[in-house]
Amino acid sequence: MAGVQGFVEADNAEAIIARIEHKSRKIESLLKQHKPVEALKTALEGSPPATRDERCKSANWIVVHRALMAIKDVEGMFSSLDPEYYDILMKYLYRGLSTGDRPTCDQCLRIHEKLTERAGLGCILRCLADTVNTV
Amino acid sequence: MHVLQKHDQIVSGIDWSAKSNQIVTVSHDRNSYVWNHEGAEWVPMLVILRLNRAALCVQWSPNENKFAVGSGAKTVCICYYEQENNWWVSKLIRKKHDSSVTSVAWHPNNIFLATTSTDGKCRVFSTFIKGVDKRESKAGTSDSKFGEQIIQLDLSFSWAFGVKWSPSGNTLAYVGHNSMIYFVDDVGPSPLAQNVAFRNLPLRDVIFVSEKMVVGVGFDCNPMIFAADETGIWSFIRFLGERKISSSPSKHGSQFSEAFGKLYGQSKYGLSNDTVEPSRADGVIHENCIKYLSTTLLPSIYCYY
Repeated sequence: MAGVQGFVEADNAEAIIARIEHKSRKIESLLKQHKPVEALKTALEGSPPATRDERCKSANWIVVHRALMAIKDVEGMFSSLDPEYYDILMKYLYRGLSTGDRPTCDQCLRIHEKLTERAGLGCILRCLADTVNTV
Repeated sequence: MHVLQKHDQIVSGIDWSAKSNQIVTVSHDRNSYVWNHEGAEWVPMLVILRLNRAALCVQWSPNENKFAVGSGAKTVCICYYEQENNWWVSKLIRKKHDSSVTSVAWHPNNIFLATTSTDGKCRVFSTFIKGVDKRESKAGTSDSKFGEQIIQLDLSFSWAFGVKWSPSGNTLAYVGHNSMIYFVDDVGPSPLAQNVAFRNLPLRDVIFVSEKMVVGVGFDCNPMIFAADETGIWSFIRFLGERKISSSPSKHGSQFSEAFGKLYGQSKYGLSNDTVEPSRADGVIHENCIKYLSTTLLPSIYCYY
């Protein structure tokens, strides 16, 4: 299997959680301004957190989930989302699908369909094959 | 037509040397044979590789006096011919890989060998053998001893396959199982790497058509062309096969579209249950994954798995 090298912890967990909270406030304000795509971009930036700490990953997921559920127009979102976000978005979609929660899964499935059209099967492969940067 | 029958298990690698007209085969049975054309027959000569796991790939060196074998034993065998004893000797590069060696490629200087492995890394070694290779005065090869690692590239988070050098030896290309292809220029102390992600299923092997153009083959059964522009940036150009819009997609394609159709059809928001059209080319000739690509015969031969 691909080597599970010693992972360098960029920051300690507290610093990362503080950053995520800061992101969360920014996202809330963007959502109030009816800018769901900007909110999603903000949520995806800096993801996944460069750490093995599950609390940080969960905290980041909560933030991304908030932004994902606020998306109403999926096609419109893709017209303004840069391709560099596709791979990381796909990872979070799979995390969403794994929750089993009906509204989350519905939303993730809708976005997944469009994302696969845009990014292709390669995007899914990159999401599955990357066991180092999990979300 | 000749049938070369000697191996007990799957023949995992084969290479034909153009000048010396020898064929080398390696197999999961941990053996290798060098076949010589004598008269009307192909005569095999066993090579003791000293492996305790399957051999996975093989390639003749540019001067055809050595060949390299990658194996599941995490070792690479460099074999050379000893005239006095009339046999091929295997020298092992051990303890340098963390997992199976999936592909090997020789640099034009006949000394550097690039390897890819399921540990995700691509490495370049020196395979200098006294008596077989001559010491060049060029700085690159003069200090290297057998088995010395020149460089290790850790670009892929997934298994690495299909490594090749460009004709000049300046650029290295290899693929990852994560639908990415990696191009490395100036292989040495300060290499320049480019990661190119693409939309399709992963590639398994690549070949340099020229210094600036690469063809990749893999699970999409449709060769992909990559090229570098004037500034040296690599990108995907197009598929090799023509894109024909046919009413009956290949067997592979329809399985995918059905699966996607069922997946999306179950959403609460009532998406239609029609199959989702696959966005891949329909001019597909191959039904199964293409694993290897070689230019031994013009224009090229594809080996099926």
